[in-house]
Amino acid sequence: MHALLPFFKWCDNTWLGETIRGSRLYFPIIETFHLLALTILFGAVLVLTMRMCGLMMTSQPTSQVARDLGPWAGWSLLVILVSGIMLFLSEAMKCYASKPFQVKMLFLLGALIFHFTVHRSVSRSEREPKLAWGAVVGVVNALLWLGVGLGGRAIGFL
Amino acid sequence: MSDVPAIIHWMQNSGIGTGIRESIWFFPIIETTHVLALALSVGVLIWFDLRLMGWGMKHQPVSQIHKQIMPLAFFGFVVMTISGVLLFWSEPEKCYLSGFFRVKVLFLILAAINAGIFELRTKKSIEDWDKYPVPPMQARMAGLISIISWAAVIIAGRATAYNLF
Repeated sequence: MHALLPFFKWCDNTWLGETIRGSRLYFPIIETFHLLALTILFGAVLVLTMRMCGLMMTSQPTSQVARDLGPWAGWSLLVILVSGIMLFLSEAMKCYASKPFQVKMLFLLGALIFHFTVHRSVSRSEREPKLAWGAVVGVVNALLWLGVGLGGRAIGFL
Repeated sequence: MSDVPAIIHWMQNSGIGTGIRESIWFFPIIETTHVLALALSVGVLIWFDLRLMGWGMKHQPVSQIHKQIMPLAFFGFVVMTISGVLLFWSEPEKCYLSGFFRVKVLFLILAAINAGIFELRTKKSIEDWDKYPVPPMQARMAGLISIISWAAVIIAGRATAYNLF
């Protein structure tokens, strides 16, 4: 972790980080956008997972449900990442010392890689995935995002 | 804090309130449960609202999405309500005096009235517009009011914790 210390220090000293830190209102406002967008993303992930487990909207192919949810999930992910980076810049040194933050980043990395490789190809495949395989991929995806959420909430507490 | 109603004062000093407030683990665990249940219930409810507004999942009949999403949303609401009452119980005086908390309760009531009107009145004619990509005005309004009030509940709830005003 020591190798990354200069990077965290640099983040902590950015103009944006200092501006957000210097205001009583910016952090709560950005945090609220972060929370609203993650509610939308989490809901989309859950609905799609239910479909992949065969519990919801079974009259539609999985790929159709995935395409319906796609744009909303994509935009909310963008808002989450942008607001998340802003929050991070404002307290980079606190994050550097935070175990939950490290856990969250590992889950986030895992969730993004899994989502854009395995999950995307299974959920958008023209041929309906086998139920068991689809269910496993869906649940793993949901658990990875759950880990991101739990880690994130814990940063504020621990 | 003497100018709060007796019940608020009693809750603040009750065993449950003090226990949650003074424990290292209870408050964070209940709070995390509250946020997860929120993401579950409001997260899936938004998809029903978007369908009502004709903005998402247009290929699905409204009644089907309603039937499949509501049990999940309802489960989330039950967990959210229980954890929310416990959180309130741990700091009733702060909540009672918080402007944001009052706004939150107002929008919760608005969301409940809106849901009641939809379930008891608007839904009666669902057979006529079930398969339309864009439902009639009354249903679209129900979706819009739901999204706005839940967003306001989340914003005001988050703001309550920051103690700004």
